Amino acid sequence: MARNGHNGATAYREVSPDHIVSVKDFSQDTLRNVIAHLRASTTFEHLVYREAELDAIWTITGFFLVNEPASARRDAVGRLHAGAEEAHDLVAARRPEAAAVVLERFL
Amino acid sequence: MLSREENQLLTQTDPGTPAGSYFRRFWLPALLPQEVPAPDCPPVRVRLMGEDLLAFRDTNGRVGIIDEFCPHRRASLFWGRNEECGLRCVYHGWKFDVHGTCVDMPNEPAEYGFGNKLRTTAYPTREYGGLVWVYMGPPEHEPDLPKLEWARVADNQRYISKRFQETNYLQAIEGGIDSSHSNFLHASLDAFRVTDAYVEKVKKSGTLRAKYHILDKAPRFTVKKTDYGLVIGVRRNAEEDRYYWRLTQFLLPSHTMIPYEKGLAIHGHCWVPRDDQTTWVWTISWNPEAPLSEEEWKTIRDETFVHAKVDPVTFRPLRNKDNQYLLDREKQRTANMTGIHGFASQDQAIQESMGPIVDRTRERLGTSDTAIIAARRLLLQEIRDLTEGREPFTAHHGDVYWVRSASLLLKRHVEFDEGARELMKAEV
Repeated sequence: MARNGHNGATAYREVSPDHIVSVKDFSQDTLRNVIAHLRASTTFEHLVYREAELDAIWTITGFFLVNEPASARRDAVGRLHAGAEEAHDLVAARRPEAAAVVLERFL
Repeated sequence: MLSREENQLLTQTDPGTPAGSYFRRFWLPALLPQEVPAPDCPPVRVRLMGEDLLAFRDTNGRVGIIDEFCPHRRASLFWGRNEECGLRCVYHGWKFDVHGTCVDMPNEPAEYGFGNKLRTTAYPTREYGGLVWVYMGPPEHEPDLPKLEWARVADNQRYISKRFQETNYLQAIEGGIDSSHSNFLHASLDAFRVTDAYVEKVKKSGTLRAKYHILDKAPRFTVKKTDYGLVIGVRRNAEEDRYYWRLTQFLLPSHTMIPYEKGLAIHGHCWVPRDDQTTWVWTISWNPEAPLSEEEWKTIRDETFVHAKVDPVTFRPLRNKDNQYLLDREKQRTANMTGIHGFASQDQAIQESMGPIVDRTRERLGTSDTAIIAARRLLLQEIRDLTEGREPFTAHHGDVYWVRSASLLLKRHVEFDEGARELMKAEV
């Protein structure tokens, strides 16, 4: 996975909940993509993919917090790290809409 | 990652636990028939899901699985005499048949009539597909035997091994369905480094796995829920217009099949919790079309792939944590990733290194862990459904197990479950 940073993609992204979103960073673009997919997710398989994506966001933000202890973004990334875990647990409880609302706080 | 509560819910299988109650709704492999080879042979200890049991073959050839300890004074029946259709405790002579009924109580006056009032714990058994299976759940919910293809082939088309693993069952299942580790844990150094010489060598190989596995170390995962559990589709890039798919089944509660390529043997596993910290690993190799070939037998004898040599009494692998799995650091430096011989030992070593029960609250998962996430969520759902009174569908529909794994090339626009529909049908 790429480090934190910018996804760089600006093209329109089709929402396809049957496929896993490529989580390379925790940019706004990535968060919007995951949120859109959360809102479209209804089946067992969809929720598994969303959980994997949220796991990935939690992992990458965790790497940032370990590797960038002096960063000015540390507090903000720390809140996103906690938010990703909250959203992850909501998806595990089959509440993807509630998970999307949690992630929207970070846009 | 899982919460502490979810991890406990999944990993605890003793009597009375939710996962233990779930596993006990299925027929489970218990022992090899050759462990009780003949009528009236000595009993053997069998520990399953935290219960200490004994297996014995009675005079009529029936296999009984009963509580190891005599209900009188809790002496072990392992020392008992297996004769005349029952197992007799040598302490005071109480005797039990394969149903657990006390058929003789010689130290008590007959007029007291104690004997016919007493039963010890006993579980029904079936001999099926080269194994002795046991059902440890409520009698009124007795399930179907699973219609697994490997259980239906002739004896000479199948080989089964049993080994003892010093971990909880769940991390063993996770190893079985996590396709992405095979590019690393099981790789030769040439394959890992994708050397020119190795690429040239595999170009000439007849198998899809040899040709395409090394070219893409970051496969994409797709999962689909099925009647039997999950099918996991792992996609690697092949030629420009095609993907190489490897399809693994996870069949409830704990069976898997390794992706199959026609013309070769198929391999699979079943993991049965022995207790929360140890597991019985059942490994099956079978050829649906013919007797196992000499080449396939050589792979088994040489422990190259999924089987490992074990102690004949304890079933502990000869390569184990006490001897560091016979790790060869020079081999690790020059030949393969681990320095350990054989896929089975490599899996066991890495899974045992994670501790007896993995602390899943401390994981750092990514999208390559999709199959593992799916299996956990499915098992949690099944376990919770049972606690709410819903019996597992799969346990009572043995036909749904009649499937095969597959590996194939598909055009990039083709969904794997459509493209592999015919290949995933069992035939025997």
